[in-house]
Amino acid sequence: MIVALARKTLLHEWRRFFPAVLAVAFSGLLLLVQTALVLGIFGSAAVFIDKSQGDLWIGYPGTRSVELGRAIPLDSEIWLRLDPAVARVEAFLWVDGDWRSRTGQGAVSVSVSGIEPGAAGLMFARALPTELRERLRQPDSVIVDRADLDKLGVSVGARARINGRQVQVVGAAQQLRALGGVNILASLDTARHLRSVGDSSDDDRRMTYYVVKLHDPDAAQAVAARLNREAARHGFEAWTSSEFSQRAVRFWMFETGAGLGVLFMSLVVCVVGVVITSQTLMAAVAGSVNEYATLHALGVGLRELRRVVIEQAAWVGAGGLLIGALGSAGALVLASQHEVPVALGVIPSLVCAGLVMTISLLSGLAAVRVLRHADAANLLR
Amino acid sequence: MSIPSTSSAQVPGRAAPVVAIRGTGLEKSYRSGKVSTTVLRGLSVEIGLGELTLVSGPSGCGKSTLLSLLGGLLQPDAGRVQALDVDLWALAARDLERFRLEHTGFVFQGFNLFAALSALEQVMLPLGYLGLDSRTARLRAEEALAEVGLSDRIAMRPSALSGGEKQRVAIARALAKQPQLLFADEPTSALDAASGQRVIEILHRSARRHNCAVLCVSHDPRLIGQSDRVLQMEDGCILTDRRQPEQKEPSA
Repeated sequence: MIVALARKTLLHEWRRFFPAVLAVAFSGLLLLVQTALVLGIFGSAAVFIDKSQGDLWIGYPGTRSVELGRAIPLDSEIWLRLDPAVARVEAFLWVDGDWRSRTGQGAVSVSVSGIEPGAAGLMFARALPTELRERLRQPDSVIVDRADLDKLGVSVGARARINGRQVQVVGAAQQLRALGGVNILASLDTARHLRSVGDSSDDDRRMTYYVVKLHDPDAAQAVAARLNREAARHGFEAWTSSEFSQRAVRFWMFETGAGLGVLFMSLVVCVVGVVITSQTLMAAVAGSVNEYATLHALGVGLRELRRVVIEQAAWVGAGGLLIGALGSAGALVLASQHEVPVALGVIPSLVCAGLVMTISLLSGLAAVRVLRHADAANLLR
Repeated sequence: MSIPSTSSAQVPGRAAPVVAIRGTGLEKSYRSGKVSTTVLRGLSVEIGLGELTLVSGPSGCGKSTLLSLLGGLLQPDAGRVQALDVDLWALAARDLERFRLEHTGFVFQGFNLFAALSALEQVMLPLGYLGLDSRTARLRAEEALAEVGLSDRIAMRPSALSGGEKQRVAIARALAKQPQLLFADEPTSALDAASGQRVIEILHRSARRHNCAVLCVSHDPRLIGQSDRVLQMEDGCILTDRRQPEQKEPSA
């Protein structure tokens, strides 16, 4: 086009279009921040898996999220070790606990993760420095998340009780927080003691999960499938780490209803965005309807006029997206500085950007209807 | 049904112009709720090339409706419009738009210029849709603006132009397409006397120079003296059809 009507009008009458740009920007901001929060919060449902190394997870058949695990037969470990693809097998014991500190606060429900304390341990290998992990070798020692210290009423070095048994906080780490509750790390031995305190089956040596490292991580899917052929008979099930991680996130997102709530909120944001943006665009088109009608009289087709309006909507979308993205970046930096869990990958960002452009283009389509009034015969009455 | 209300009156010493538009038995009613108002009652008219035809008459007599029908903007309830030997209302909507793009220009009472565009861009805009390249469009637009005496105003936006200048830009926008048919609806009614005079002179000159049919609707009496032919309308019919004595081409 030799005269960029859409763009020139947009720039010249920016005051008219600015509310639409802002509406799109806020829709984008809400979508992006909400997505980042959801991914941050629900991503922590899989913190046990994502912060650990290991290619396979072995647990009770049909387990849908880590904290729902149940003890599996002791001989599971033997079956795993028999598979030639398996390089290492490490146990993980989940114990529900009741935490009491000496500060006189009430009890706090915690979950104790019993892990291998050695330097080569797989569990929480991505969150726990070796030096800190080694401290768990000391009997009845635990490590907590730094952000949970206040909630637990302790500081590093202090003593407290779990299930009535005394433990000592030997360190504080980061990124241990899980969605289900306070996550506390202990050695497998300590965890076993903590379980047996209130439990009659003192000699129960069964574990909740086994984490498996393979010689060839790329073979994870094939090995899991092979193990699962016999697994039901042995009383366990195998998942690849990413599969189990997604399973946990999906469980929290959808089974709890929270995910549907988020989807519903996104829908509301989109609808509100379209309503406000389309109203503003419609007003802008209506403001030039006589000029459009004149062009139509001069023989410029309605199809070409619609294209002008859609192009304006696309520019409004692009401008809104830019402002929204900058605002979101600021909000996310602020959030992570205050330890608010946020996470945003490339694909979710692109999906949000796509939604924002959809909001603008739908609004443009709504505004196109105003062109029905661009009837040149109306100029002659 | 088609009762010719008038036929072109002949003036001695001058050949009858070639017919550009022929409206036959035109009828049009507007419906407002249950009330239907008939605006044109079987009107027939021929508009010639190379002359300025003025349609005048009181408000509501149907002169603007006649212009809409002959210009291909509004479909008649009955009757035919043949423009440049094309039956306009037999065309599909896209083809009618194409016909208007290639052959007709319009000038309206409100100038309807885009606030964001300079005078040059206003004139170039329709040329782009005609498929002209940027260079040709620019040359043609500059030529048209020169013809309406606005060569020194081409970079200005409507907000910097006077009413008369805006209307001249609107005329240049219509003329740059080099149409054979030019329609003007009350082109002078929003202008002061001097500007109005200038606009009507430009329209008249265009008819002569470019041999196009200019159909102008107005109740401005100043226009009568500048027209080649005056159709007096009343109540949906043409009462008189008067040819003016031969005039010399008005100077710029």
